[in-house]
Order: sequence, then C-alpha cells, then structure tokens
Amino acid sequence: PEAPAQPKEEEPPMHQFIRKILHEDLQKSNEEKILRLMRKLNWDDPEISYVAVQHLAGGWRVRASARRALARLTAELSAWQEAVAPAVVDTIMEEIRLTMEDPHPRYNQRRIATARYLGELYNYKLLDSRDVFTVLYSFITFGVSNDHSTISPLDPPDNVFRIRLVCALLETCGAYFNSGSSKKRLDYFIVFFQNYYWFKYSDPYWTEENQFPIYVKYIYQECLTTLRPKLTLCTSWQQCKDAVEELRQTLYPELGDDEQDENEDQGEDSIAD
Amino acid sequence: VDKKAKPLRPLTKIILRRLPPTMTEEAFLEQVSPIPEHDFFYFSKPDPSLGGNFCSRAYINFVNVDDIYLFRDKFDGYVFLDDKGVEYVGIVEYAPFQRIPKKKKKKDPK
Repeated sequence: PEAPAQPKEEEPPMHQFIRKILHEDLQKSNEEKILRLMRKLNWDDPEISYVAVQHLAGGWRVRASARRALARLTAELSAWQEAVAPAVVDTIMEEIRLTMEDPHPRYNQRRIATARYLGELYNYKLLDSRDVFTVLYSFITFGVSNDHSTISPLDPPDNVFRIRLVCALLETCGAYFNSGSSKKRLDYFIVFFQNYYWFKYSDPYWTEENQFPIYVKYIYQECLTTLRPKLTLCTSWQQCKDAVEELRQTLYPELGDDEQDENEDQGEDSIAD
Repeated sequence: VDKKAKPLRPLTKIILRRLPPTMTEEAFLEQVSPIPEHDFFYFSKPDPSLGGNFCSRAYINFVNVDDIYLFRDKFDGYVFLDDKGVEYVGIVEYAPFQRIPKKKKKKDPK
C-alpha cells in the first residue's frame, strides 16, 4: 500500500468515479459495462482525460486478478479514444524510468506490478515487442556500471531488484516471443540478461555470510528455463562475457575487436548527432 | 505478433522531461513556441503518486528529423522556471515509445 504523498485534497466526484470503476469495481465479468461507462466520459475535457489516462496506466493499483481486465479495457477503449493507448504506454514508460532514477524500495511492489501490466498491454497489442525489449534492456543497462569497482547509485550492488523486474515482464509476455524477429530478440536478450545477472551475482558485496538472495536466483532460473527449456545457462560471469562477445562478433563482425558499442537494441536515451 | 522485417524508421518522437510540476500546457507552449513542424503534441502533468519525483513532461512528434537536433540544442538543459521562480532543467530525449495516435478521428457514438 502506497502512502499518499500529497496532502489530501478533496478529489472531484468525477475523478473518484473513474478511480472507483477502474480500480475497485472492474473485473472480468463487468468489463463490458465499465467500458461503456468509460466511453461516456467527457474526453474533450483535458482534466478528465488526464485523470482517466493516469488511472488506466495504474495497473499497479488493481488486484492482480483484475490487471488483465484493465489492460483489455484500455485496448478496447483505444478503438474509440485513439490517444488513450499511446498516452497510457508513455505514462508507464515514464514511471519505469522514474523508479529507476529513484530506486527506493517503497516502489518495489509497484514496480513489479507495473512491469507485469506493461506485459499485459503488450499482449493486447498496445505496444510492439520492440518496445518491450527497449524496457527490458533499460532494466539491465540504465545506470549499470558493469564493473564491480565502480558503484552505481542507480544500481548499487545490494540491489538485485532489476533482475526481478526483467523476470516479471518476461513471465507476463515472454511466452509470445517464440517466432520470427521477436524470438530472435529474446534469444539475444537472454545472453545480455545472463551477463547482467552474473555481474550482480559475482559482486564482491556478496560473501559467505551475506549471500546473494537465493529466491532471486530461483526466480531468475525459473524464468529462463520456462522460456527456453533447452537452454544451458551460463555458470560464470566470464562465460557470459564470452557469450556476449561471440554474439557481437556474429552480429557485427565489421565492428572489429575494440568497439564497446555492443548492442543496438539498447534503449537509446540520449539524442546523438 | 511482429510483422517480418519491418524497416527501421527514424525516431521522431521526443520527450521533454523534468518540467516544473505546476507548469500548465499553455505556459509550456508559450515558452517553447514556435515548435517546428510536428504532427503530435502531448503535455502531461506529473503523477502525484510518485512522491517527490514528479515533474511535468511533454511529447512532440516531429515531421522533419533535422528539427529534432535543433530542438534538442535549444531545450536540452534549458532552465524552466515554475511560478515561484524555482529552476527546473529540462532534458530532451527520444521517447522510449514512438507510437502516436492514428490520424483518423472517428467519433464515438457512445
């Protein structure tokens, strides 16, 4: 449960109404009815459409069992209100980014739920697999030092939460990355994800007395073996580094040996000339 | 889900982040106008449930890729002021999600 950050102001009745129907009432059985109510909102009112988008993007606010219904409702509503779908995805992408810039544990539950919700929105085609991979790569690269002697405040050694975020997203929609370009993207990503996992796992922060959290190891292994049952997982960081290098050589032989820029799929954050 | 061998489209949608939380769309437009030719603009107020992190942000989809660089040069690092004079340094990035609403507008009969 999230503590309200703002001093409580009386919420206008229409806002309360939207929140109630989306976050309290919505379930599989009444989806049609709530969709009709949502369509009836005055979408020309910027305040109302802002609040509606905010709540449609709030997959973390609903019970896990209602998450898929909210995603489907967002998808169906988008047939009538075309600006809704991109606004919802943009809002979620921004939330994911902000909670990487401030990886405070108070957001952890929310971050997992949001990652799963994004996966559900992918399942209803509100975004492409390319977009899902942008997010997946951002989890394993944003502010990541890839070097144990350089401690990143955004991804400190004791914080292994991003591994869980990757798994949460992949658990929700990874099963659909099973053919064509999305399958290939997942295969490549798994190489980089293993590399990130082993970077975290082999950090000298973890010792005999202070061990890497075993449940995270299980979540990681379970996630990858479910997606790729035949895959042999890397068993050391060096093995991962070799696998990354091999993949780079295969994909970009023309880059030569010294290039650091190993991955085109990484979410581009800055606008380079 | 994906169609085979989609040609790579250039990135055209940018996000201007870290705008003052109290900023209005009108005030924003006043400060950045004229925005070069664009077919999509969306200004979003912050999400108050994200505690102290909230800032406003704006999305623009440019028609000409070259305009992005000019816009970036001007507004990446640009200092926006809120109504109390507090400084917010804006950042310009490619939006991680490049889709924009389809043009055709159909009226919902409801």
